[in-house]
Amino acid sequence: MSSSRAIESTRREFEALALPHLDGLYAAALRLTKNPGDAEDLVQDAVLRAFRFFDKFERGTNIKAWLYKILTNTFINRYRRTTKERNIVEDERDSVQDRLVSRDAADVAEDPERAFFDRLLSDDVLRAIDSIPVDFRLAVILADLQDFSYKEIADILDVPVGTVMSRLFRGRRLLQKQLAEYAASSGVLHAGGDDGSIRDGSIHLDAWKRKHGIS
Amino acid sequence: MTQGATSRTTFECNDVDRLLEPYLDGEFGDDDRASLEAHLSACAGCREGAASAMAFRSALRARLREAFATGAAHATAPDSLRRRISAALDAEAERPAAWWRRILSPLPVAAMAACVAGALVVFAGHRATDPLVEEAVRKHARDLPLELSTASIAPEVIPGMLASKLDFNPKPPAFRGDGVKLVGARLAQLRDWPAAYMRYETPRGGRLGLFIIDDPNRRVADEGHAVRAGAETIWVMNMRGYNVAVWRRNEIVYSLVSDLDEADLVRLVETAQSVER
Repeated sequence: MSSSRAIESTRREFEALALPHLDGLYAAALRLTKNPGDAEDLVQDAVLRAFRFFDKFERGTNIKAWLYKILTNTFINRYRRTTKERNIVEDERDSVQDRLVSRDAADVAEDPERAFFDRLLSDDVLRAIDSIPVDFRLAVILADLQDFSYKEIADILDVPVGTVMSRLFRGRRLLQKQLAEYAASSGVLHAGGDDGSIRDGSIHLDAWKRKHGIS
Repeated sequence: MTQGATSRTTFECNDVDRLLEPYLDGEFGDDDRASLEAHLSACAGCREGAASAMAFRSALRARLREAFATGAAHATAPDSLRRRISAALDAEAERPAAWWRRILSPLPVAAMAACVAGALVVFAGHRATDPLVEEAVRKHARDLPLELSTASIAPEVIPGMLASKLDFNPKPPAFRGDGVKLVGARLAQLRDWPAAYMRYETPRGGRLGLFIIDDPNRRVADEGHAVRAGAETIWVMNMRGYNVAVWRRNEIVYSLVSDLDEADLVRLVETAQSVER
């Protein structure tokens, strides 16, 4: 039957366009679900959905953005409900504190020991990404890992560009704060000596406690 | 610390904090970039902030890139996943829905209609489970009062009146033939989704309820059995004695609840599809 050849050719076209993005999709899925088994399920679901809707994909447009949109929607619809992620509304109340802490983190980044970044492990970076709320995490993954523009991210997430901008802003600040904390707690970054450890609040407090044998 | 008069947008120090990131991400147009750079060159405090933001940003991105370098386990789709996807795509080609969608697509509409009658034997009585369809059937059966009636309002202005109350355009399909007539309309809700509801009548006293919703995220599942009508796929199912046809046009999903038999229902939907194509 010639239709089976048609199916075969559709499939080959789909695979040629979609499969090169599989690594990226899996990396993003793993950061979203934080679990290899769920990440595989998520990517498989998303790819299968993409295949089913492949006739709706406008040839010549951005397949990468299209695939990430499907991945994101699949995640939001199916997995997010069960993974009990904290949502943005809940996290808004932390924003004042984030702002304060992020100033500390900026100080850390400006520190002569700025090179602390180079001494962080990949695992620290992954852990930091995983620690931030999912909406911010998504924005950071799409912008900083997948190199999407704000407009593309807005399309993928179905939110206004202004929302992308603020999620990215907050997401990166939170990431910065986390990384500075890891650097501080792993002793890579010294806790500033003097009384700085107390004055600076959450970032240096742990290091200060550790230094003084308080746990 | 914006000094001097300039014809461009001028940025205040307070703005700079939030605008630095889009600026560094290359999101600014020429004018905005020039304005921000003008501010930075005039304001030492902001310049310092920008330098540090830039340093942090490039360090962060470098670390991210390293962490997700090619070959890293968490950045590589495992072979098991590739195998699963390949198997799922194999299975997909075997699905009846896929056969319908892909195999019937080259057939002309007339041949399709002939197939539909035969297909009924095979697929008869596909029961719907989608909660949206369920709700549509329930609402239609309850015979809610119409807010806009064609007894007093011209049918052509009804869609516009509904559109002004919704944040999408509920463009109704142009059903042709069979004497199907719009009786009236109202705003409705399917689960949490705002919907336009339009009621039609057939010459033989049949009653049809059409729900129009906006579904950009494709939350409405493909369900029922697929019938190909031109370039469109119509999903047909049965619930509580009603036959329901669901189809999509871009981001808008139409659910037509009817007491027609399945073949008549599909034929009716097809008249609208062929008019609009």
